[in-house]
Amino acid sequence: MAGMNRERWVAVSPYLDRALELDGEDREALLSSLRAEQPDVAGDLETLLTAYAIPGSDRFLKTTPELPVSTTLAGQTVGAYTLIAPIGQGGMGSVWLARRSDGRFEGQAAVKLLNASFVGRAGEERFRREGSILARLTHPHIARLVDAGVSAAGQPYLVLEHVDGEPIDRYCDTRQLSVEARLHLFLDVLAAVAHAHANLIVHRDIKPSNVLVDVEGQVKLLDFGIAKLLEGEGVGGEATALTREGGSALTPEYAAPEQVTGGAVTTATDVYALGTLLYELLTGRHPAEPALGSTADLVKAIVDTDPQRISDAVTRPAETREKNAAARGTTPEALRRALKGDLDVIVARALKKKPEERYASVTALADDIERYLHDQPIGARRDTLAYRVAKFVRRHPAGVAAGAAVTLLLAGLVGFYTLRLAKERDRARFEAQKATKVSELLTDLLSGADPFQARQGKEPTVRELLDAGAARIEKELTDEPDLQAEMLAVIGRVYRRLGLHDKAVSLLEKSVTTGRRASGPEHERVLAQSLEELGIVLRRKGEPAAAAPVLEEALAIRRRVLGPEHPNVANTLTELGRVYGDLDSDEKAEPLLQEALAIRRKVLGELDPDTGVSMSDLAHVLRRRGDLSGAESLYRQVLPIFRKADGEEHPHVATMLFNLAQTEAEEGNYQGSELLFRQCIAMDRKGLGENHPDLAVDLVHFSKTLLELGKYEEAASAAREGLRITEATSGKDHPLIAFGEIYLAEVDLARNDAAAAEPLLRDALRIRQRLFRPDDWRIGVCKSTLGAALTALGRYDEAEPLLREAERVLKDIPGAQGQEFRATTTRLAALDDARGRQTALARAASLPR
Amino acid sequence: MTSAERGDASAADALFTALYTELHRLAGRQLAGRSNLTLGTTTLLHEAYLNMSRQEGVDFPDRARFMAYAAKVMRRLIIDYARRRQAQKRGGAFLITSFLEEPEAIAADEKELERISAALDDLAAADPPLAEIVDLRFFGGFSLSEIAAMRGVSERTIQRHWEKARLYLYEALRHEMPA
Repeated sequence: MAGMNRERWVAVSPYLDRALELDGEDREALLSSLRAEQPDVAGDLETLLTAYAIPGSDRFLKTTPELPVSTTLAGQTVGAYTLIAPIGQGGMGSVWLARRSDGRFEGQAAVKLLNASFVGRAGEERFRREGSILARLTHPHIARLVDAGVSAAGQPYLVLEHVDGEPIDRYCDTRQLSVEARLHLFLDVLAAVAHAHANLIVHRDIKPSNVLVDVEGQVKLLDFGIAKLLEGEGVGGEATALTREGGSALTPEYAAPEQVTGGAVTTATDVYALGTLLYELLTGRHPAEPALGSTADLVKAIVDTDPQRISDAVTRPAETREKNAAARGTTPEALRRALKGDLDVIVARALKKKPEERYASVTALADDIERYLHDQPIGARRDTLAYRVAKFVRRHPAGVAAGAAVTLLLAGLVGFYTLRLAKERDRARFEAQKATKVSELLTDLLSGADPFQARQGKEPTVRELLDAGAARIEKELTDEPDLQAEMLAVIGRVYRRLGLHDKAVSLLEKSVTTGRRASGPEHERVLAQSLEELGIVLRRKGEPAAAAPVLEEALAIRRRVLGPEHPNVANTLTELGRVYGDLDSDEKAEPLLQEALAIRRKVLGELDPDTGVSMSDLAHVLRRRGDLSGAESLYRQVLPIFRKADGEEHPHVATMLFNLAQTEAEEGNYQGSELLFRQCIAMDRKGLGENHPDLAVDLVHFSKTLLELGKYEEAASAAREGLRITEATSGKDHPLIAFGEIYLAEVDLARNDAAAAEPLLRDALRIRQRLFRPDDWRIGVCKSTLGAALTALGRYDEAEPLLREAERVLKDIPGAQGQEFRATTTRLAALDDARGRQTALARAASLPR
Repeated sequence: MTSAERGDASAADALFTALYTELHRLAGRQLAGRSNLTLGTTTLLHEAYLNMSRQEGVDFPDRARFMAYAAKVMRRLIIDYARRRQAQKRGGAFLITSFLEEPEAIAADEKELERISAALDDLAAADPPLAEIVDLRFFGGFSLSEIAAMRGVSERTIQRHWEKARLYLYEALRHEMPA
């Protein structure tokens, strides 16, 4: 062309970018400075910009060219109508804009010319009859069927009210309508469908292209009952057959399960399609989206797969979530929050696979949406305390203005807890009384009624809110030990979540004391709960010895009350097992953790994340006890569970890889260990950053594996990097420093540089002697290596006591540390050897010549 | 469409043919401006996408790339049609009448369309992303905000790119304009 070639365009393009950001004088200034430097480029730029001065240039490319349409039928008459122009084309025929021939009515209409095959089955007579029934359907939001018939030429046709509008999904998106505005529009759709249902007419093919919104914002539903009209008299498999042959006669994307399986089509079928429509309007995604690729997958998804919750659906995929949120005038996160809860439940209910589990009517669906819009509790959700409290808080934002986020946290936690209680029991009356009491207390706490809120106009802190709550519970509920114990436990739990351990212990202890006086039907359950919480906090505080009896009692109660195989029993077993692990009583820990795992496997399933946690807990113990293959097999089972639950690159997954790498190393499979370490380190570098303490742990232990593989250079650099991070993040006395120093020293020893190794080992010994009892195996390991270094340096008399001490300490250590004992024995033999050689040499030297 | 992505020419051809047919079938629904039951190009392409992606072995990595491709197909469809209309007129076989427009106006439009398309091919050689925006916007009927969302860039950026492309094409066509 006469325009620009690539080189010229590339040269001018950045200046054009800049020029377009500027106006008038600034643009002129850019041009003149460019003229001085690059006259050619300036010339091109100027030429391009002159277009602005040419009249009409602003209209250039502004209107999209039109696609061709066949116009051959224009002017023909069908019934009382003259076809003007085609306005649509689909699998079942074409749609024409038409004008009434006899001039009796004002307007235009849409005439649908159907493929003759659609009518053959039903018969002309029935087609006309059904059509006249549909024609009686009048509603402001329904496009009326004016006439149905077969032309003289044998062409079946439908005459419909003509609607000037666009599909509802596009209408909403182009105007960036909010979730609320969309719901209001959707309510109009529901009103129309409800009206039709009241007249015993089911739509059967509700989809965005059948729901138009006109320029005035009025919803109009098209094609009511036409799917049925076309379907013929058959039942059952007919709909499925139609889907196959008709293409667009029935749209599989919006079909209900019963439509694809050939079940009975009822008003519930429309409820389902409306659910799909609502799903799309709210999220911009289709409920069966991953399956849209093939009809087979789609059908399977419609029948089998529960759609993702809408609040989850809007968080992905990364490429479109911003756009979908923007089309709703918001951000993905805000959209997620708006949809979470009620709307999740409403849409899920409409999309239930079984017709009888959906909303019983379109009106019921509309009621729930109305309630949602007025912040009233919806019918689809059980009337739980948690839910009511949350609703209350939302309805009265002014009342909870102070520390609203904090208040919500508390309300949420308390509510969640109470919700769980409600689920776990069926003693309805007791619960009702208690719920009333709790809700009164909470309401007081959450509304502005509390004196602390008015105090100096300052917002209460979390602490103050909780303290006030605890004080009131202690004071006001003395006559109700059951309720008091429970509420104290709730607040205690919140304290624990916040990391306020001392306060948590004090409240939980009070809860336990009160709980022992209680006698209600739930008192034992509450007591066990409080004991367990208390045990967990004590362990977190570093007091496992105090935690053990508390958890033993909790376990005994839970076993008695809940039976031996309850998930809560497994929880207590797990905590107790960990406590014994902390106390170095693996022989007590192992059976507890085994039992917890067995329960979780059976009750929660093999792939539940909790089952995975149990496997991992148990694997740690097996590893410490020397059952390396047992540990390895458990770690390998956990890996896919965590990958699935947390994502491929979650730190939990990296932790499992680390454990596996360590176990492989302990088993002597250093090649395997190396591979696992590399994966785990890459993951942690990416996920945690270059200076995270966990990365240091990886690196230090990785250096050991490399050392064993004879990769000294890399081993030393890994150890050094680990040491650097640890020193920076945790100081010079951290236990990991000792590991790093020992491995670094071992590299030195392997390279015959014992002099460099000695100071490293002395520092490692210093650290460990501060941390552990004198005969701890970790001190033994350190002494053993130092002994080896001293042997290499020829200081045998210093080396021998260290090695003898190490041998004594390491002799009875089980598991992987066994190899440390063997190493020490070898080192002693080496010492003897070296000394023997020295003695021999000395003797030889002392021999008279 | 996985294979089309990898540059397999025959797969791309097959895809084009399928898409072309598909768009032809759907074309009747698009009568922008004068129709009352307007299904926009976006919807049309979306349906085409659904239909296409349902075919075995046809799989675009994402919607954005599909749409860019489809918009290009759309251009070829429109140009193709314009050419045929011109040919018919020259042969005098039919007098094509359109509902609103005068034949002369259509003829002018058709010639211009062809020139735009040719200039666009040049732009595609110099600056592919810019040419793609023209396909999407002018032939595909996408709004700038939709294109911005598709590309994951700001609307402002797309607005500027669109303006640049317009200037480029305007300049190219101005030069070509017969005196």
